[in-house]
Amino acid sequence: MIEILMLAPFLTGIMAFFLSRSSGRALLVLTGAFHLGLSVLIWIKRPVALFPDYFAVTPEGLLSLLVISLLFFLIAIYSTGYLKAAKIKSEHIFTGSMLIFLATMTMVTMSDHIMVMWIAIEATTLASAPLIYTHRTKASLEATWKYVLICSVGIAMALLGSVFITLAMDIGKVDALVSFSALTSVAKQLDPMWLKTGFVFIFVGYGTKMGLAPMHTWLPDAHSEAPSPASALLSGVLLNCAYLGIFKTNKIMHAAGLGDFSSTILIVFGLISIMAAATFILKQTEYKRMLAYSSVENMGIIAFGTGIGGIGAFGAIICLIHHSLIKSSLFLTSGNMLLGYGSGLIEKTGRMAKLMPKSFVAFFGGFAGISGFPPFGIFIGELFIIVGAFRTGHFFVAGIFILSLCVIFAGFANQVMKISFHDTTAEEIKITEKASMVWPQYALLLTSIVLCFWLPDSLYQTIIDAVANIGGGY
Amino acid sequence: MTHPVDTILSLALLSVLFSLGTSHLTGLIRFVAFQGVVVSIVPFFIGHEMTGGGLLFTMVTLWIRGVVIPLSIYLVIKRVAIHREVEPIIGYHASLFAGLVLIVAAFVVSYKLDVPLIMKSVLLIPTAITILVTGMFMLIARRNAIAMVLGYIMMENGIYLVGTTFSTRAHRIVEFGILLDVLAGVMVMAIILQNIKQKFDVVDTAVLRTLKE
Repeated sequence: MIEILMLAPFLTGIMAFFLSRSSGRALLVLTGAFHLGLSVLIWIKRPVALFPDYFAVTPEGLLSLLVISLLFFLIAIYSTGYLKAAKIKSEHIFTGSMLIFLATMTMVTMSDHIMVMWIAIEATTLASAPLIYTHRTKASLEATWKYVLICSVGIAMALLGSVFITLAMDIGKVDALVSFSALTSVAKQLDPMWLKTGFVFIFVGYGTKMGLAPMHTWLPDAHSEAPSPASALLSGVLLNCAYLGIFKTNKIMHAAGLGDFSSTILIVFGLISIMAAATFILKQTEYKRMLAYSSVENMGIIAFGTGIGGIGAFGAIICLIHHSLIKSSLFLTSGNMLLGYGSGLIEKTGRMAKLMPKSFVAFFGGFAGISGFPPFGIFIGELFIIVGAFRTGHFFVAGIFILSLCVIFAGFANQVMKISFHDTTAEEIKITEKASMVWPQYALLLTSIVLCFWLPDSLYQTIIDAVANIGGGY
Repeated sequence: MTHPVDTILSLALLSVLFSLGTSHLTGLIRFVAFQGVVVSIVPFFIGHEMTGGGLLFTMVTLWIRGVVIPLSIYLVIKRVAIHREVEPIIGYHASLFAGLVLIVAAFVVSYKLDVPLIMKSVLLIPTAITILVTGMFMLIARRNAIAMVLGYIMMENGIYLVGTTFSTRAHRIVEFGILLDVLAGVMVMAIILQNIKQKFDVVDTAVLRTLKE
C-alpha cells in the first residue's frame, strides 16, 4: 500500500507533462485528494511495507506524511486559482514537477534504509529545481543554480556520513540491515568514533537542505524566486523531510548513548540559525525573503528543541507541524500579494487591510501564528522547548533563545505593519480575491488553531512514540 | 609487494594533480572521466565476489561514471564554449601546491585511521580522500560554472571510492539508485548551465551575484 502512495504521484506527474493546462490542474487536485485519502488510511491501518528492507512506516515518518498530504492537497486547490492568474508559460512542467516532487517527498517519509533516505532526499532537490526556475528570469535562474549546487554538494556530505555509519557497523562487527530502525536497536555495538563522524557529516549534509545557518544561503533565494505554491511546498514540507534525516540519525545516537554529543551540535546550530535569521529579518526589503528567513528561524527552533530533548523534543515536533501549516499559508498569501501589487518589495505594498481584506486576514493570522502567539500551536511548541531548556539546566542558551525570538518578532512586526497599514502608491489591486485563493490559507490556519486546543489521541500517541527514544514526552 | 590496483590508483592521483593544473575545460573533463573510470573498476580488483549481477553493475557504473556523465558535460561545453578557461580564483600554481599538500595530508590521515581494509592496497584510502577533497577545492577555487559542476562530479567519484573501500555490504539496487541520482543531478546541472549561457552569455558565476541577504 505505501508503495502505491509513492508511485501514484510519480506516474501522474509524468502524465502531467503531456496534458493541457486545465486537465493538468485537475490532475493536480485529484492526485492531492487521492494522496490525502491514502495517507489517512495508512495512518489508521499502519501497514507493513512490501520491501521491508528499504521502507517502513515509522511514527515520525507518518507525522511528516500526513502534513505533506494535507498541505499538498490545499496547495493544489490554491494552485488552480493561482495558475489562472499568474499566466505561467510552461505550466505542464510546473504541474508535472509538483507531482514528482510530492512522490519524492513521500519516499523520504517512508525510507528506512539509510542510503534510500539519501536517494530520496537528493531526488527532492532535483524534482524541485524546475519549480524554482518556473518564471524563467535571470534571478530565478541564479536561485536555481545556487539551490541545486549547494544542496547537491551538501547532500553529498550526507552520503559520506552514511558511508561512515556502515563503517561503524563493520568495525563493530554488527550484522544487521543498514536501516534506521535496525541500527537503533543495535546502536550500542556500533563503533562510537565513526558513528559520531557519520552523524556530523549527515548533520551538515541534511542541515544544508533543512536551511540551518550557516549552510542556509540557498534558502532565501530559492523561496523568494519560486512561484508561491512551490515556495509553500519548499518551506512547509521539504525542510521537514531533511529534518527527518537528522532526526532519525539522532535517534541512533541516543540509542548508542551518544545523545550528549548530538544534542550539543543540534543546540549550537539551532541557536546560530535563530540568531542569523534575527539579523537578516530586521533589514529585509522583500516580503518573501522575510518569510524565508522566518523558516530559517523556525528550523533553528526545531533543531534547538530536538537538542534539548525530553519535553523540548515534544515541543519541537509540535513546532514542526504548526510551522508547516502556518508558513505554507503565509507563502500562499504572499502569492496573492505578488499578483496584487505586482512587486515583491515591501515598500511597494501597503494598506493591505483595505485593498485585499480577505488575504489580509490570512496574512495577519499567519503572522500572529508564526510569531508564537496563542491560540496558534507554535506558541505551545516554543513554550515546551523553553520549559525543557530550563528543566535540563540550559539557562544561558534558553536566554539567548528567548532574546532572539523577541528580536525576530520586533523585526517581523515592523514589516507586517508597513505592509498592512502604511500608505501605498499602488491604487488598485490587479487581482480579484477568488475563494480558491484564500480558503486554503484559512483552512491551514484553522487546522493549526484546532490542533492547538484539541490534539487527537492517536496524533498525541504518534508524537510521543516518535520522541520516546530521545527522552520525549511530558 | 605492490598490489595491482595501486598502479591504476597512482595514475588517478597523478590525474588529480593534472586537473588542478589545467586551464582548459576540455582537459579537465578528460581527467574527470579518467577518474570516473578508475573508481568504477576498483571493485574488480578488491575482495568483492564477482557474480553475474555484480559484473553487470560494475559495467553500468563504468559506463555512467566514465562515459555518460563526462560526455554530457562535454556536449554542454561544445554548445556554450566561448571561453574555455576554468577562470580560477586560486591560481594554477597555488592549486597544484595545494594538491601536493593535500596528497601528503591524505596519506598521513589514512595511516592514522584504524580502518579494517578489505584488501591491502596502500593507495586506496589516500586516493579516495584526495579525489573527494580536490572536488571540493574545485568548487571553491574556480569561478566557471562548468568547472564547478566538474568539481561536484569529482566529489561524487571520491565518495564512491570511499564507499567501495570500506564496505562490501551495500546492496546493488541501492548503489544503483545513488548512481541514478548522481546522473540525474548532473543532467539537471547541464540544463541549468545551458540556460545560464542563454540568459547571461557567459558561464562565469561572477554574474550570479544579484541575490543577496
